[in-house]
Amino acid sequence: MSTDGLRLVSKQTQAKEWLLAALFFACAFIAVLAVAMIFVFVGYQAWPIITDVGVTNFLFSGDWSPTAGKYGILGLVQGSAIVTIFSLAMGTPLAVCTAIFLSEIASPRIRALVRPAVELLAGIPSVVYGFFGVVVLRPLMGDATTGLGFGPLTASIILAIMIVPTIAALSEDALGSIPMGVREASFAMGATQWQTIYKVVVPAAKIGIVDAIILGMGRAVGETMAVLMLVGGAPQFFAGLGQPMSTLTAQIVMDMSYSTGTHRTALFGMAAILFVTSMALVLSVRLLSRLKHQ
Amino acid sequence: MCCVVAAAVLATAGCGDGTRPDGQLIVTGSTTLLPIAEQAAESFQKANPGTNVLVSGLGSSAGIEAVASGTSDIGTASRELNADEQGLGLVDTPVAYDGIAVIVHPDNPVDALGTDELRAVFSGEITNWSQVGGEDRRIDLVNRDEASGTREAFKKIVMKETTFDRSAVVLPGTGQVRDVVAHSKGAIGYISFGFVAPRFSKTQVKAIMVDNVAPSDESIMTGEYPISRALHFLTKGEPSGLAGLYIQHVLSKEIQEGVVPEAGFVPIGDHK
Repeated sequence: MSTDGLRLVSKQTQAKEWLLAALFFACAFIAVLAVAMIFVFVGYQAWPIITDVGVTNFLFSGDWSPTAGKYGILGLVQGSAIVTIFSLAMGTPLAVCTAIFLSEIASPRIRALVRPAVELLAGIPSVVYGFFGVVVLRPLMGDATTGLGFGPLTASIILAIMIVPTIAALSEDALGSIPMGVREASFAMGATQWQTIYKVVVPAAKIGIVDAIILGMGRAVGETMAVLMLVGGAPQFFAGLGQPMSTLTAQIVMDMSYSTGTHRTALFGMAAILFVTSMALVLSVRLLSRLKHQ
Repeated sequence: MCCVVAAAVLATAGCGDGTRPDGQLIVTGSTTLLPIAEQAAESFQKANPGTNVLVSGLGSSAGIEAVASGTSDIGTASRELNADEQGLGLVDTPVAYDGIAVIVHPDNPVDALGTDELRAVFSGEITNWSQVGGEDRRIDLVNRDEASGTREAFKKIVMKETTFDRSAVVLPGTGQVRDVVAHSKGAIGYISFGFVAPRFSKTQVKAIMVDNVAPSDESIMTGEYPISRALHFLTKGEPSGLAGLYIQHVLSKEIQEGVVPEAGFVPIGDHK
C-alpha cells in the first residue's frame, strides 16, 4: 500500500481522484459535443439547399410557398429582425431602468420584493406568454390597428416583457460589480444620486449592460412559441405593424410536422441561419468581455 | 351495446395474438377528426381494459407522414391523399363526411357568398366587405396552415388553381380560427361544419350560405352543399390488430349514430 516511511496516497484514492476528474471532464465535454453534433447535423441537413434551391432563391427572395416549390426566406428574416428590434426597443429601457432601480435606488426591503418578481418573469413558460398575448393583448391590438391583432407589434410587446428578466438580471450584475468606492467618490464631489447614476455608474458598467442586451437579443431572435402564437404566420414582407408576418422560428415550427424533401432542407437552412446568428451574438459578448478586461 | 361486447371479445382475442402486446394504439392527424377519434378512443378503452389509445391532432399532412413512417398506427386525414402520398401503401377507410363552413362574425350582415366570390375573397382580389354587399370594412382573412386537411380541401373545392392571399393570418387549428373570427368583425375563415355549433365554445360565429345553400346535416348528407369532403382513417396496409378493432369500433353503430352526428359530421353510410 505505502512505501516505507512515506505515506503516499493509496492507489484507490488516486484512482478515485482520476475517475472524478474524468467524470467532470465528461460532463463538460457533453455540452461541447452536443453543440458540435447539432452544428454538424444542421449543416449537413441544410447543405443541399445551396444546390437544390440556390443561395439567391433562398436568401434573397421573399417568396415562401413550399407547396409551389418556392423557398425564399427574405420575408421571414425580415419578420425575425423586425420582431427582435421592436422587442429590444421596448424591452431594453424597461429592463435597464429596472436594473438601475434594483442596484442603485431600491431599499433592501423593496428590492426583496421586486427582484423575485422580475426573476419570476423568466420562469413563466413561453406558451403562457403566448396564450396571454392571444387572449388578452391580441383583441386590444386588433381594435387599435383595425385588424385581427396578429402581427409584429403584438409579438414584440409580449417578447419585450419576456426579455426583461434576462437583460435586467445581467445588467444588475454589471452595475453591482462597480466598486462602492466609485459611487462614494462621486458623492464626495457633490454629485447627486441621479448624476452619479448616469455620469458614473452606468458608463462604468456600459460593457456589461451591452452584453446583457446582446444576450436578450439572442433570446428574442430564438423565441418561438409566443411569437408563433402572435405573429400571424403569414410569410410576407412587412405590411404594417398590425399586419400578419412570419419569423424564421415560427415558420420552422409550423412547417416541421409535415415537411419533406427540399421543404425540410429549407427548414434546416433556416435553422442554420438562426444557429449562426446566435453564435455571432455569443461571440460578440466574448469579444466585449475581453475588451472589458483590458 | 352488443357491438361493444363483440369488440371487447375481439380485442381480447387480438391481444392473445400478440400483435401489440402493450395494447397501445397511436392515432395522429387531422384536428377536424379529433372529436370523433377521441370519443371513440374513450369508449374503446372502456370496452377493452388494458388498451391505451393515444389521440393527437397535428394536421392531416402530419398524420399521413406519421402513419407512413410508422410513428403512429393510424393517421387521420380530412383530405384525399395527394399524388406523392398515394405511393406510400396506405389503406384508406372513410369514417364520416364533413362540410366546410365559411364563417364570419355574427354581426356581419353578409349571409351568402358564391364560390367565385369566396375565391376572390381568399385570393385577396376582393378586400372590402362592401364589394360583396356588406359594410364598408376591410376583410381580414383567416387561413389555416399548410398541414391542414381543411385548407387542402377548401383549396381543392373553392380555390382550384388560384392561390391564397399570402397576407392572410395563418392559424394552426380549427379552434383558433373559430375564436378569432368570433371576436373580429371583419374576419372571415373556414372551419369544419362540426365546429360551428356553439357547444364547442361559448362564442358565436355565423356560417354563411355558399352558392345559396346553407350548410346543414341534410345539405352535406345529400351533397348539395358544395364544400364537403370525406374524413379518412389511414393505415399502413390493411388495418389489423388493435388498429383494425379500433377502426371497426369507429364504424360501429354506436359511434356512427352517436358520436359522429353529435360532433356535427355526417355518418359514412348516409352520403348520397
